[in-house]
Amino acid sequence: MRLTNYSVYDVNVNSLNQLQVKLAHSQQQLSTGRRIVTPADDPAAMARSMEITQADSLNNQYAANRVAITNTLSLTENALSSATTLLQDIKTIAMTAGNTSISNADRQVKATELQGRLTDLLALANSTDGAGSYLFSGFQGGTVPFVMNGASTSYLGDDGQRMIQVSSSRTMASNISGADAFMRVKDGNGIFSVTPGAGNTGSSYSSMGAVINPAAMNGNSYQVQFTVAAGVTTYVVMDTTTATQVAPPLPAVSSPYVSGQAITFGGMQINVTGSPANGDTYNVQPSQNTNVFSIISNFATALANPVSTSNPASQAAFTQSLNTALAGLDSALSSVLNVRTTVGARLSEVDILNSNGEALGAQYKQAMSQLIDLDYNKAISDFSQQLTMLQAAQKSFKSMMDMTLFNYM
Amino acid sequence: MVGSIYNIGLTALNAAQAGLVTTEHNIANANTANYSRQQNVQSANQPQFSGSGYFGQGVNIANVKRAYSDFLTKQVFQEQAMAAQYDAYYAQIQQVDSLLGDTNSGLLSAVQGFFNSVNGVGVASTPESQSARQSMISAGNALVSRFQSIGQTLTDINTSVERQISSSVATINSLATQLASLNQSIMSAQTAVNTQAPNDLLDKFDNLVAQLNQEIKATVVQQSDGSFGVYIGNGQPLVLGTQATQLTTVRGNADPTRMEVAISSNGAAVHIDQTSLQGGKLGGVIAFRTNTLDAAQNSLGQIAMVFADSFNKQHSMGMDLNGALGGNFFNVPTPTTTANLLNAGTGVVSTTLSNAATLTASDYKLTFNGGTSYTLLRLSDNTATNLPAGLPQTVDGLTFTLSAGTPTAGDSFLIRPTASGAGGITMAISDPNKVAAATPVRSGAALTNLGTGTISAATVNATPTTPNPAHPTTDLNLLQPITITFTSATTYNISTGVAPAALTPVVIGAAYTAGSTISYNGWSVQISGAPKTTDVFTVVPNSSAKTDGTNALKLSGLQTQTTVGGSLSYVGAYAQLVSQVGSKTNEIKVASDSQSAIVTQVTQAQQSVSGVNLDEEASNLMRYQRAYQAAGKAIQIANTLFDTILSLGR
Repeated sequence: MRLTNYSVYDVNVNSLNQLQVKLAHSQQQLSTGRRIVTPADDPAAMARSMEITQADSLNNQYAANRVAITNTLSLTENALSSATTLLQDIKTIAMTAGNTSISNADRQVKATELQGRLTDLLALANSTDGAGSYLFSGFQGGTVPFVMNGASTSYLGDDGQRMIQVSSSRTMASNISGADAFMRVKDGNGIFSVTPGAGNTGSSYSSMGAVINPAAMNGNSYQVQFTVAAGVTTYVVMDTTTATQVAPPLPAVSSPYVSGQAITFGGMQINVTGSPANGDTYNVQPSQNTNVFSIISNFATALANPVSTSNPASQAAFTQSLNTALAGLDSALSSVLNVRTTVGARLSEVDILNSNGEALGAQYKQAMSQLIDLDYNKAISDFSQQLTMLQAAQKSFKSMMDMTLFNYM
Repeated sequence: MVGSIYNIGLTALNAAQAGLVTTEHNIANANTANYSRQQNVQSANQPQFSGSGYFGQGVNIANVKRAYSDFLTKQVFQEQAMAAQYDAYYAQIQQVDSLLGDTNSGLLSAVQGFFNSVNGVGVASTPESQSARQSMISAGNALVSRFQSIGQTLTDINTSVERQISSSVATINSLATQLASLNQSIMSAQTAVNTQAPNDLLDKFDNLVAQLNQEIKATVVQQSDGSFGVYIGNGQPLVLGTQATQLTTVRGNADPTRMEVAISSNGAAVHIDQTSLQGGKLGGVIAFRTNTLDAAQNSLGQIAMVFADSFNKQHSMGMDLNGALGGNFFNVPTPTTTANLLNAGTGVVSTTLSNAATLTASDYKLTFNGGTSYTLLRLSDNTATNLPAGLPQTVDGLTFTLSAGTPTAGDSFLIRPTASGAGGITMAISDPNKVAAATPVRSGAALTNLGTGTISAATVNATPTTPNPAHPTTDLNLLQPITITFTSATTYNISTGVAPAALTPVVIGAAYTAGSTISYNGWSVQISGAPKTTDVFTVVPNSSAKTDGTNALKLSGLQTQTTVGGSLSYVGAYAQLVSQVGSKTNEIKVASDSQSAIVTQVTQAQQSVSGVNLDEEASNLMRYQRAYQAAGKAIQIANTLFDTILSLGR
């Protein structure tokens, strides 16, 4: 093997070049802190890192969404909690006003007070989030959901659920339908309602009744009909859906009426108190939806009517209204409580998802770090080794080139 | 005898002098590329016979020989051609590698930014926010311009590849001319009477061949007349004797947008198979263009087109703030179709994208077979599809149509569906109100309902069958108000209109099963629970649905859906592209490194035969100096001898 001038220089220049390229790469790694400077350094890890970056970015999206939904749900919960307090307050007023010893004038004051509370409740139901969108109007965030028109209130929102993605596999509504909270309040006792006939002239009133045998309930409507003949009050209960008599059982013609005694039919029981007139009726039918505003507004109207001990019919009518209002307020409270439970459950789920999300984020960061980040110990040791090699190559090249026979000629 | 001493001394002097000349020549050319070390071949002169035997007559120089190994030299050229190819390939591919992998300029950050504007406290969660909608439009613009800028950079790289091809062709042409004229000199130097090799001319020839191999792999064969033939590609002669063929660049027949290398023959360009152009810079950039650049452009274009198309599809299933059905969010790039320059017929084929879900990243060649028959060849895997019934036909999500003229049998068309996809994607909307974040229909239960029936949110069917399959921009009935009325616990009617408007029943007495899907007018809902007679559910246009982000949520879901080629998400497809280019870059880098090691090895082997070692030449200098001194001394002695004899007569 002959070593020649040309190849000695060439080989040395080549190997110096290569060492410098390696050194530059190590330097680039050190200055960027990345093990992978371009995808060619580790294509598989780079591709994986892109997928993890995307997953991490999604995770951050969901985290931001969770913050947003927590804000909206907290606002909703605040409004609903205020509504609960307000309804309890109204119930207290109603109970105070129900005391028969208070004067008509005092009742009038209570009625005015109730109207004020009603306005407060309407304002709560029309609450907005920070950005001016109505909390309880479904998809139509720009539409005022509850509009009171005289005694009736209409809901202009919808049942739309504003879904927000809170984790990769979970979307959650950030709103509560205003209809669910305030407009789907069951009247009566929640199962059925008892309303006095419109033409009643007697001085009786009815309890809201109770279910005594759920199995016997068939969802039909009934009417309790009173007959007063020769000073004796009797009643029959007709199933108006099928137009048949259900109590007393046929062939009996009628049952004698005793004030306050239970009247039982179709699995239900009501108590009528006082003296019904001939032809007075009570209609019993499955509960329908009413709204919290009507309940309060109706009771305020009833409060405004004068009641006097000399007019037993007015007393009975007031008691009937009070019973209806108290039952209605209980239903309204349970409606609000129901949706509050839903909101609470969502908020606590978000909490759990938050900690899951954070754990996931930490995992992604660790995985990314393992894929992309530089092991500084190794990199610095590589760098110094390459530096030493380059110095050695340079020095040895120089000494080798100094060795020539021409020095001795 | 004394005369003979003079003569022998003289030959020795001459030989030593010649030796010094050759040595000096070697020293002078120690750093000349492709110089082969020269040596004088000395031999003893014809001896003179005398009675007492043969007396030597001194020395002569038989010839000046160059230390040369044909085999090793050719090996060096070959390996250098390969090394130049890898280097050129690497120089180009590393640009693509860095471009795609860069965290700032790559696609990844733009895709993420866009989807963050759709979901993470974006339009999906705050659809009522104008600023969220505006930032979605801005992020869309940023994404589109990222696609365009990567596409443009790839186009720029293609332009630089074409410049490299032109410059290589110019260099090859110049070298070919020089080689041809050098052949002339070599032939005239070796006449019938003079058989001595013109060493330095041959080295110069090798040097030019070495330079040629930097541009393209060339093979050299010696001809009977002493000249050399130089061949490239599949044996195309570049230099034959004193004749040099010129290369030229022409537009490709199949793809006229593409520059190809051709052989210039009598003023006409003869197309040659581009894949036969191996080795050297030219081979490197051509291989880069075919194997990497085209594939990268196509894959990126595929992502852009699938992205635009799938996003548009979902977007048009939504409703914007103005209460209108969503339109296109992006403009989807159109596939490019080019007719072969050699086509005899007048046929013009156009290609449109009909289903991005089945779109591939491949190019296609459509050939007309005569009659009504066409053959479609997918170039990525050479899968041929016969289309005997003529056009239009839809294959792989592309619809091919003969839009004008009549083709002649044998005519072909090159279809590059996705090649310009990245550069062609643009935003279709700029008005934030036109972001279709809401779902177009909303369902609701009447407040007067007695039963426990609940209705799910209404969803828009992807492919409605009634009343208009061309959904949904033309499906106006999607926005028709509909009432579902229960006529018993187990049956319902569907009517057009919603109270207080008059109801017109269109479906009467349909059987109700809790939880089953009810579809009408292109939407679907599920009613569950136990509705009662007269219970009413409505499905109405979702007008003024400021706070509905249902469709935006579905749009954001596209981020993780496997939309590209049916198996990859947008980012997954991009990661695959990055990984493919990265692997290829790595492969080329490793190949380039090992090739340069091979070049070093064979060069050292070749140099160990042909190279100049200065120490060796220094010792040769001393050797010939001594020889010269010795010969001079011999002549001096002969002179002294003459003096001795002449002094005898005094």
